[in-house]
This record gives sequence, C-alpha cells and structure tokens, in this order.
Amino acid sequence: MRYVVVVADMKVGKNGDMLVTHALGSCLGLMVYDPEAQVGGLLHAMLPLSRINPEKAAANPFMFVDTGVPELFKKVYDLGGQKKRMIAKAAGCGRPLGNDELFKIGERNYTVLKKLLWKNNILLDAEDVGGAASRTVHFDLSTGQIIISSNGVKRDL
Amino acid sequence: MRPKQIDRIMAEVKSFPGMPGAAAKLLTLSNNSDADASQVEEILRYDPGLTANILRLTNSAYFGLPSKVGSVKQAVVLLGWKRVIQLVIFSCVNALMDKSVAGYDLPPGELRRHSIAVSVAAEDLVKELKIMAPPEIFTAALLHDLGKLVLGGFVKDEMEKIESIASQGVPFEAAEHMVLGTDHAEIGAQILKNWSFPSEIVSAVRWHHAPDAADETNMLIDIVHVANVLSLMIGIGVGREGLQHEPSPLVTKRLGLNITDLEKVASRTLQWVNEMSDVFVND
Repeated sequence: MRYVVVVADMKVGKNGDMLVTHALGSCLGLMVYDPEAQVGGLLHAMLPLSRINPEKAAANPFMFVDTGVPELFKKVYDLGGQKKRMIAKAAGCGRPLGNDELFKIGERNYTVLKKLLWKNNILLDAEDVGGAASRTVHFDLSTGQIIISSNGVKRDL
Repeated sequence: MRPKQIDRIMAEVKSFPGMPGAAAKLLTLSNNSDADASQVEEILRYDPGLTANILRLTNSAYFGLPSKVGSVKQAVVLLGWKRVIQLVIFSCVNALMDKSVAGYDLPPGELRRHSIAVSVAAEDLVKELKIMAPPEIFTAALLHDLGKLVLGGFVKDEMEKIESIASQGVPFEAAEHMVLGTDHAEIGAQILKNWSFPSEIVSAVRWHHAPDAADETNMLIDIVHVANVLSLMIGIGVGREGLQHEPSPLVTKRLGLNITDLEKVASRTLQWVNEMSDVFVND
C-alpha cells in the first residue's frame, strides 16, 4: 500500500508499503526503520514544542516534534520493530533566506529532535536538512530505501 | 528576447478572465456605506451556485457561528456584509485557483490551500498581535499569488535560468524579475488593478515579497508578507520556489512579532485550511 503522510501526520507500515510525504519546508520529516522486521514509520511534524498549543497536541501529537517522535517509535514498536535495530533518518527543517531568528522554526525542530534522540541513545544514520528547498520523501518499507526529491533532483538518503 | 517575452506576458494579463459580475457589483457596493443585506441578496439571487458556496463557507467552523445559516440575508446579519463580500470574491476566484500551477509545481488545489492558509494566518496574526487591521486583509491575503496563474508557464520555460540565479541566494521572485522582466507579485497586482480592486489590496499583493521596497508602509502589506512566509514554511503551497524568500526584519520589528506568536498562529492555521478547502472538494 502507498500511504501519503500530510502535514502534522504520521503513518507506519510493513514490507510492501510505501510512505510518501510532500512539501517539507520547515517541517521535520523523520523516518525510522527496522530492517529485520521490515517495519517502519514516517512522521511529518510542523513545530518543535507542544507547549505552544497543548490542546492541539492532545488532539494531534504529530503536529509537534516533542510529542510526535515518541509516538512514532511507539507505533513502530507495536508492529514488531526493535529499538536496537532501528535506523533513523531525518529530512526537511528548512528555512527562508536571511538570518531572522523568528523564522528558524526548521532549526528549532531539528534541535528538539536531536535532544530527544540523544536522551534515548539513538543516533541519526543520515540526514538531509536545512536550506531553502522544499523536499518530498519516498520511503520504501520493503527495503528501507529513502528517496528525497527536491527541485526535480532525486537522491538516496 | 526579453521585450518579446514581456509582451507575451502582458498580453496574457490582458486576456486573463475578468472579475465575475456578481463580485464586481458587490465590490462597488462595499464602497458604499449605506449598503444592506437585501442589496447583497438581490445581486446573488440569480446565481444559486454562488449562493450555495457562500453558505457553505459561512457555515465552516472558521467563522464559529453557533447555528447553521440558511440564507445570504442571515449570513450578512451574522457575519456583516463586508465578510460576505469577501466570501463572494473567494467563491468567484475559487475556480481559477483550483488548477495546477506550472512552473511553481503546485498540484491541483494547492494554490487554493496556500491562499486560504495565508488568509487565515493573516487574520490570526492580527488577533494574536492585538493590532488593528482593515477587513480587506482577508481578500488581500487570498489573492496575493494570483499572478502565478499567468506567470507559471513563463517561469516553467525559463526555470533553468531562474534557478541558477536563485541558487546563489537570490530570492525566487527577484530571480523571476531578472529573467522575465517581471514577477508574480507585480502581475497579480496588475490583474487586480484591471479588476478595479481597492488600492490597498493591490499594493499588499504587489509588495508581499518585498515590503521594504514599497513606497508606503502599511499593516496589510506587513501582515500578508509574514503570513505568506509562515504558510510556505509549514508546507502549504510550497512548490518549486521552496522557502527561497527573505522575510523582512523591518516588518517583524514593526509588528512586534515574536517566536511564540508565530508558532501559535502556525499551530492553528492547518485545521482551518483543511476545513475551508473541504468546502470546495465536491465541486
């Protein structure tokens, strides 16, 4: 099955599934995969911290990095994924031109992710983050292959 | 090559559809302070499709009315006729914004989602910052990217040149201007001028990427500028141009904007966009 992950959303799947997310701007795209169980998930989170709007976070934890990331791992564990085998890769976290702190939502998303992963002894295996380009992610759960498309160019992550 | 191309662009601006009759009439009415609900209803009486769309929009959660509204008259009473006129304009341009946009790589419906996002984010910024802004902000935000409908095909043809300039850190719309001799903000403003829209709306569209270059500062330009960057950042309508735009520090300073304001608005925008886009899904 092919699942499209919209903004503030998360999908998990298994061998035979393809997870797709479009238009990663400042948002974080986090992909996790257990190659042995062939299960994985993709989170498309918009903002770093849920304390900005706890009501929204309760209704949809995937809007925020701090509430979405734990939920993503939990859902992949539920499918049989194991932490010690888990591969985590990140994409997105872009930002507009200029140097205005206000608009560094992407960098704040990335920082919160790194802190969360560090606390849980998980390292990012690969990342394609920052810059001003929009990204689309295709995540093949049969192989764990992740293709990032950006401005008409495709690359493996 | 350039003069020929700019002539072709301007010819397309000229042949761009005119403002639909009902919206044009209502717009004239909106300049008349004596207008009332029955006049709005009279104009809409002969367009049941338009009326249905207006009622569906009126009843969307964004406007937070306590009960369902069944007539335009009631909508005018509850929302005020300025709001209803905005919804008429919205319904009229909806068919235009539904299409995919070449060049900017926007799939069908995405320009509309982006336009809605900028409108609701703009109004929410005004609320969050507790500032006063004219009601025209909704329409200015909604129509800010109208020029993409004309310029998209030209951008597509010159993408290689535009991207090679943009890749050096030049804002996308500036790269458009260098290659095509105009940009989508300028084209959008020209269309709205041809439609006889109020000058504040025209200038908010004209300067939405370059507020510092405007010869006046006003709230409409500032808010649309910020709401647009924010909507692109959260991935609504972000296409080929990506986040290749530079938010103006002068604007954010003028508005007194901080990170919390911006993130709060972002957290509320998405749901409204989904709800309002759904209104048109079955068209």
